[in-house]
Amino acid sequence: MDIHPLSTRGACRRNARPLAGLPGLALIVLALAACGGGVNEAADTAASPAAEAPAAETETAAPEPTLPDCGDWGIAMHAWVGYTASAQVVAEVAKNVLGCTITQTTLDEAGTTYDAMEAGSVDVIIEDWGGGRWQEWVDRGAIGEAGLNGNVGLIGMYVPQWMCDANPDIADSANLNKYAEQFITPESGGKGAWYEGPPGYTTIGEKMIAANKLNYKVINTGSEAALIDLFTKAAKNETPALGYFYEPQNFLAKVQLCRINFPANDWTDAAEASGLTDYPETPLVKLATTTLLESGSPFATLVQNFSWTNADQNQVALDIESGMSPAEAAQKWIDANKDTVNGWLAGTGASVE
Amino acid sequence: MTSPADGRQRWLTLLGRRWVLIVLLVVVWWVLATLLRGIHTLSLSTATDTWFTALLRELTAVIRGNRTESPVFIYLFNPIRVGIEGFIDSIRAVISVPAPGNLIPLMGWLGTLAVIALIVYATSNLRTAALCTALLLGCLVLGMWTYTLDTLAMTLGAVALSLAIGLPLGVWAGLSDRVMAALRPGLDLAQILPTLVYLAPLALVFLIGVASATIATMVYSIPICIRITAHAIRSLRASPLEAATAMGSTRWQLLTKVQLPMARRTIILGINQTTLAALSFVVIAALIGAPGLGKPVVEALIIRDVGDGIVAGIAVVLLAIMLDRATTAAVVHTDEVLDMTEHQRRLRRIGLVVAGLATIAAIIASRYLMWAAVVPERLDIGEQVGRIAGTVVTWITTNLGFATTGLNEFITVTVLNPVEGILANAPWYLTVIMISVLAAIIGGRTAGLVAVCLLTAIVVIGLWNDTMITLAQVLLATVVVMVVGVVLGVLAGRSTRVERALKPLLDAGQTLPAFVYLVPVLALFGPTRFASIVCGVFYAAPVVVRVVADGVRGVPAEMVEAATSAGSTRTQIITKVQLPASRRSLMLGANQGLIFVLAVVVIGGFVGAGGLGYLVIVGQSKPELAGKGLAAGLAIVLLGIVLDRIAQSGGRSRPTGQDRWAPGH
Repeated sequence: MDIHPLSTRGACRRNARPLAGLPGLALIVLALAACGGGVNEAADTAASPAAEAPAAETETAAPEPTLPDCGDWGIAMHAWVGYTASAQVVAEVAKNVLGCTITQTTLDEAGTTYDAMEAGSVDVIIEDWGGGRWQEWVDRGAIGEAGLNGNVGLIGMYVPQWMCDANPDIADSANLNKYAEQFITPESGGKGAWYEGPPGYTTIGEKMIAANKLNYKVINTGSEAALIDLFTKAAKNETPALGYFYEPQNFLAKVQLCRINFPANDWTDAAEASGLTDYPETPLVKLATTTLLESGSPFATLVQNFSWTNADQNQVALDIESGMSPAEAAQKWIDANKDTVNGWLAGTGASVE
Repeated sequence: MTSPADGRQRWLTLLGRRWVLIVLLVVVWWVLATLLRGIHTLSLSTATDTWFTALLRELTAVIRGNRTESPVFIYLFNPIRVGIEGFIDSIRAVISVPAPGNLIPLMGWLGTLAVIALIVYATSNLRTAALCTALLLGCLVLGMWTYTLDTLAMTLGAVALSLAIGLPLGVWAGLSDRVMAALRPGLDLAQILPTLVYLAPLALVFLIGVASATIATMVYSIPICIRITAHAIRSLRASPLEAATAMGSTRWQLLTKVQLPMARRTIILGINQTTLAALSFVVIAALIGAPGLGKPVVEALIIRDVGDGIVAGIAVVLLAIMLDRATTAAVVHTDEVLDMTEHQRRLRRIGLVVAGLATIAAIIASRYLMWAAVVPERLDIGEQVGRIAGTVVTWITTNLGFATTGLNEFITVTVLNPVEGILANAPWYLTVIMISVLAAIIGGRTAGLVAVCLLTAIVVIGLWNDTMITLAQVLLATVVVMVVGVVLGVLAGRSTRVERALKPLLDAGQTLPAFVYLVPVLALFGPTRFASIVCGVFYAAPVVVRVVADGVRGVPAEMVEAATSAGSTRTQIITKVQLPASRRSLMLGANQGLIFVLAVVVIGGFVGAGGLGYLVIVGQSKPELAGKGLAAGLAIVLLGIVLDRIAQSGGRSRPTGQDRWAPGH
């Protein structure tokens, strides 16, 4: 790109000599800012295809309804790959098709993000496992539910596949005590080590152990990284490990785990769980700020319509894990699933072809 | 003065008698703890509230509910938040964050780089400016440009606000004993307050985001600024002051014409320390929404992308070196200017004009030329570096995993479990009594009293068992830190060559955010308490090495010469002369080691260490456990005060800010 001719240059020239020191420099910077920006001006016209496209069409064909202005919105990014996949697909559609300005902010799940939404720094959670933890914020009118996202979460306790192959009855929770000895580590105080899920995730391990009188001790792993590490090693070295895991998680496509089955579930709110039964299947929820939901922006429509399957999510997540950038992986999926995407766009007046 | 041999003798007997008592007590403790194992341990499941944590949880809900309605928020907290946010965002808008719809901020990368170089040149010299430019280019080449500038903007903003509060308070505290006495408890507390503990309460009031992160950073760096500034004013020689007073200066004249100019050097050093402290904190503050380099570092932990985390970590270190050198050079420059000849001054003036013009050209170019506005992609080698780093770490973890697992299990079974057994699996009253008695013996009656009171308070708030689990790890990590610190510290103190070789490692160790090495440590040691201990050692060892080396270097040369001529061997000189003579530094090192280790126990919660650290973390993400998280933070603080009281007693002098944070010195 070449230097743009500066018609206003004269008006912007200031008498600030560098010797005047930093105040002078600050003046120059401010003066330059007032001049309007070369690179930025170019960006303005190039970066908003949605604003341009309808204008171009009105000249040739019958006037189409112009897109309502989408606006600036923030999507909370939680740190598991599956979440990244869902959020990135929504972000790409919003940016490239609806012409929204989207900021993606990495935040811890649950409380942290609800607070951020109340503060207005992000607007959307695309996958929340919380089962109603957000009620307090809903009551205050800060956030609202935006429907299910189509993914179904299933939490459980798992062992590496080789253990189930060697002892098929281990998959029944009633037999866990029989194998407790195998799971003893220096960390677990003479009991079997029960590696619990990361801090933000729904966990009721302590209750399950107490209710089922299991001879195990909860070890709080503190991060998903720790669990993935644990199972990777246990599978590779054929060592025992009992730990928390969940689907949809594309890690399960790489390392085979075997689920321990507890009696069928009887709860939805972890606070009311007896501990006797298994984790429930959790339809995952989308949340949005009331500001977004009431804005009438096409982005609100997109977020409310968005829904896909566990297999869809795994596909994008796997591409991300194998080295593709989230944006590339999302775009690849969008290109291959235009019908689904157009379903989400229903009511916005926009579509992909 | 007594001869070194005499002093040593007295010290040994004094210490000897105490040691016998301590060992006896520990044996009794161990026997009792074994006999009463598992009784009244007050252990509590993570999900269970106590009366106190339930109270705190309700309080958090009330605070959250009031944020939009209560006058305290509408007229006090919210305006503060908005003001700080606006201030930081205006800095970011200049260098790091493009306005909506724009491609670049006010300036492209070349302009920003030129402005920073010019500022460094104007406040110091050309060589430092070139070095700083090179370091920033390093961040750029690593693909971390925007993150780096976000961190820089946050740091500079927080430093500006910290100085605005800290400098006047520091000067005031330097002039008035009464002010100093009023501030001291706060300053002392701030030094032992683990940084991660006040993130949650701040986020509760000021919400997740830039404002909370900035205020948290200020809480961390202001005490350092106050301490050094007050010290600068207080340590001025009396004679010029008396002369000025005798000549009839008013107090104001005395301050502005004599005291401040004379203290200028130390005050700038204080700015240096404030800046580095702020930088280190801004990285951690990513946990409550601070933009910048902390983000990829924290993300790396969660998605196990070791490479990216290391690249971001390197950028943090480069930025820290840059800020350190720039501010240090400014100190030197204040002296150099006085010695300059007229010719040199003219040369410098011409240089500044040329640099100023070049900067303007760079700013203009960065707004109109694409390559100078947006960092060209082919310059970015961050991905390659990340991949290489990732491969190296993977290789290490897969090939050394065997040895590390063995070490981990050995230490856990032979040391950690027994220690935890005595502390956490015995009746709480036994542990409270024993720690308090030991505290009284080691640290004097006050320390014993403090221990009784605060430990009982921990029992009352209901987090006793978790606190003891944490204490076991802290004690073990501190022992390791002291061993490493003394060995390396003595080596560095005795030889400038070793010192020079260690310096970059120590610098990096002190600036590298702990999150960077969590993932490799996790891969090596698994989710264990030992992993958390290793993190604590990494974090705390550099400062202990520095303090010990400083102490050994401070031993008068005559003492060493005397011992050498008396035919002492090298080992004898170290163990009989240099170590005893630097006893104060050793005690200070132990104190600092303890406090630093305690500061990372929260991080240990991320790697399966359990205890208070895990509760702090879980309290931040699960609203129903928010009360427990806050209470755990309080328990860490109480534990910190007890440990500090005990360890402080030996090295009587209070650690200054310099001891706490001294890369580059």
